[in-house]
Amino acid sequence: MKKTLEVINELKEKGLIKDYAIGGAIGALKWTQPFFTEDLDILIIPKMETKEKELIMLSPIYGYLKKKGYTWKGHWIIIEGVPVDIFPTDELEKKAVEDAQETEYEGVKTKVIKPEYLIALSIRAFREKDLRKIDMILKQAKVDKRKLNRVLSLHRLTEKFIKFRKKYYGK
Amino acid sequence: MVNKQKVVIDNKILTRKQLYKQQEKFSRERATLPFEEKIKRLAELQKLAYSWGNKKDVIVWKID
Repeated sequence: MKKTLEVINELKEKGLIKDYAIGGAIGALKWTQPFFTEDLDILIIPKMETKEKELIMLSPIYGYLKKKGYTWKGHWIIIEGVPVDIFPTDELEKKAVEDAQETEYEGVKTKVIKPEYLIALSIRAFREKDLRKIDMILKQAKVDKRKLNRVLSLHRLTEKFIKFRKKYYGK
Repeated sequence: MVNKQKVVIDNKILTRKQLYKQQEKFSRERATLPFEEKIKRLAELQKLAYSWGNKKDVIVWKID
């Protein structure tokens, strides 16, 4: 895991990405008790901007990783023994990465999405596993409720959050 | 009837409500573990899924 993060940091150092943060289940696990997951989700702000705004170029990143000898297993790229999923950010995810908590893993610097944005991203996805994640975060992590409401409102997710609350807590 | 049931753990007698509260407290405590420790425990869960759960496609993370 330490080496995996070092390689991901290299992507930033080499100028292949602007920034990144850990999201998904491992992002949640930073703030909750440990639970099972299979992969490491990395949200990246891509460096390469093409003329067509809808086109996101991930080829240089994958090219770099391939050159280093890392291989694919399904949709994962296995970096130093850890299956990694790389996602280019959209508007909400970009804000989540910019807001992410700087932290260290065995002395290696990294960033992890904060609880409020993890909740917003999970609310947006609204799969059962996302809702369970939100429940865990709300019960186990310190969540800034004002910030959460602001993020949800800004990204038009308040109604979905109310739907989640009704489903899980009956209110 | 279920609401009146009690659970005995060591020398403690707990109601179901108290038991759930205690479990929630324990979860909140585990949530404060260092990130590295949580990843170690995750790798243990992956090992369990691989061996006991017979999920042979699970990749047990290299954490060293």
